[in-house]
Amino acid sequence: MTLTISWFLILAAALFSIGVAGVLIRRNALVMFMSIELMLNSVNLTFVAVSRELGLIEGQVAALFVMVVAAAEVTIGLAIIVAVFRRKASANVDELAELRG
Amino acid sequence: MGNASYLAVAFEGILLIGALVVLLVAVVAGRSRAVWAPIAGASFLLAALAGVLQWIEVENGGGGMFFSAQNLQVIKSPMVVLDGFSAMASIVLGLVGFTAMLGSWDLVAKVGKRSAEFVALSLLAFAGLHMMAATPNLVVIFIGLETASISFYVLAGFIRADVKSDESALKYFLLGSLASALFLYGIALTFAATGSLTIYGVNSIRDFFSETVVSDPGILLVGMALMLVGLMFKISAAPFHQWAPDVYQGAPSGAVGLMAAGVKIAGFAALGRIFVGGFISQIDTWGPIVAVIAALSMVIGTTMALVQTDMKRLVAYSGVAHSGYLLLTLLAGVEGMSAMWFYLATYPFMIVGTFAIISTVSGPTSTSSPIEAMRGLSRRSPEMGWLLAIFMFGMSGMPFFAGFVGKILAFIAAGDAGYIWLVVVATLTTVIGFAFYLRVVATVFSGEDDDTTMIDPTLSSRFAVVIGATVTVVFGIVPWILIDVVRDALPL
Repeated sequence: MTLTISWFLILAAALFSIGVAGVLIRRNALVMFMSIELMLNSVNLTFVAVSRELGLIEGQVAALFVMVVAAAEVTIGLAIIVAVFRRKASANVDELAELRG
Repeated sequence: MGNASYLAVAFEGILLIGALVVLLVAVVAGRSRAVWAPIAGASFLLAALAGVLQWIEVENGGGGMFFSAQNLQVIKSPMVVLDGFSAMASIVLGLVGFTAMLGSWDLVAKVGKRSAEFVALSLLAFAGLHMMAATPNLVVIFIGLETASISFYVLAGFIRADVKSDESALKYFLLGSLASALFLYGIALTFAATGSLTIYGVNSIRDFFSETVVSDPGILLVGMALMLVGLMFKISAAPFHQWAPDVYQGAPSGAVGLMAAGVKIAGFAALGRIFVGGFISQIDTWGPIVAVIAALSMVIGTTMALVQTDMKRLVAYSGVAHSGYLLLTLLAGVEGMSAMWFYLATYPFMIVGTFAIISTVSGPTSTSSPIEAMRGLSRRSPEMGWLLAIFMFGMSGMPFFAGFVGKILAFIAAGDAGYIWLVVVATLTTVIGFAFYLRVVATVFSGEDDDTTMIDPTLSSRFAVVIGATVTVVFGIVPWILIDVVRDALPL
């Protein structure tokens, strides 16, 4: 049995779905953030698999760019979560409900 | 490097240099905000001037695709495109950025030693926003989107002393990142289906559609849908709008104008570039979806705005409705682009002006601004009261204000595309919308005579509001000046 591109695409789709479910279901800001990172990395897997299948370099370059963007997002995201945690001693998004209307 | 053109990337270049200069000056010359006021203002104005030069170049037959992989007979994967569309985006983003920066200057003055970060982040954000309009490469659109979004997450949480600002930043960050990830997966699936990441050039997405009969469109459809959903999040179209009221309310009043206006312009520019520029042959597939989202946005935005008691939430929900009206222009394809640019060249000035007034009345660092705070504004600060009324009339679509012309052009575009039912919905929501806009105007002009706590707006916010009101009134009375110009603001 050989590994075809569909295996990678299905794996990436499964990881992406797990990530979406994590963001929607989990209430801890850190875990939600990890789920978003999982989504970004499943996209990278898609890019690299398609790139190899089609013999194009663009997908691999795109994956590199996505990693850099994800790193930038981590710095800002963790800073925001730490700021919230310092004030509330909790990273649960349901306890943040000042904004209503 | 292929065929480089400094003019094509002048907007981004000027703003990046401006941001770096501000950060360097903050380190070297101390943290006096008097120093970087001219730098920030000059950066935005020079960037807008670069946009005018780009526009002249395009009108004279220049323009085209730049920074491509090869400079032989073929242009392969160009990174920057210079056309009427991107030149118009430069002009609009430069002028809106300048006005919004003036409106934010009260906040810059308040945050003290962190003000350099605020100015630098705003400049970087606008560079990213223009990148979304000026590149034919989907991954570069994503990078521009993230450059802007990450800067705006920081601006939303800029007031560390207020828990609402933290909450606003966290909500914006989590939902914004989710939207970015969905958009990115859409790009990856489009790449898998078409084998291309670029809209123009050799082996582009357009080539793919003209050369291939799409037999099994499954992956392509999912990819297009995910890209659409990601961008709909950013422009806060219903049902992806829930973050907007919370973020607008929790973010410091002085910063919201920048975020709200900038993201709206660039989000629609990216939608136009991708869906009208790249996927125009598939308009029968995505058109009905956009039509449904537009109808939902208009209905939900208008009805929710009716029951708001907070000024910032009201403008947020009115923004949801305006996203709906703007989406009408996409349905007409290339013919709708001039209507889109008329709307995008006028409506953001109303947002910026309204938030400059909110920032003046409730304070630049405030995280709530009840409509009641506007009571008697016409006496407490006559010019702010009257100009807020002008912005409310402009947004509501009152004749002789720019919002009216923008809406009519959008309705005509949707009607030409055959979406008559949508025009009916849009007209009804416009009429209902008058209720909440006029409620604000009534509050401004009511109140007891003895309530005379005067408000003295700063010079910068006065300038911001006057510029915004001038655009709203002038293009409402003599719209054909602008209509003649935006006629050429088409994607390549």
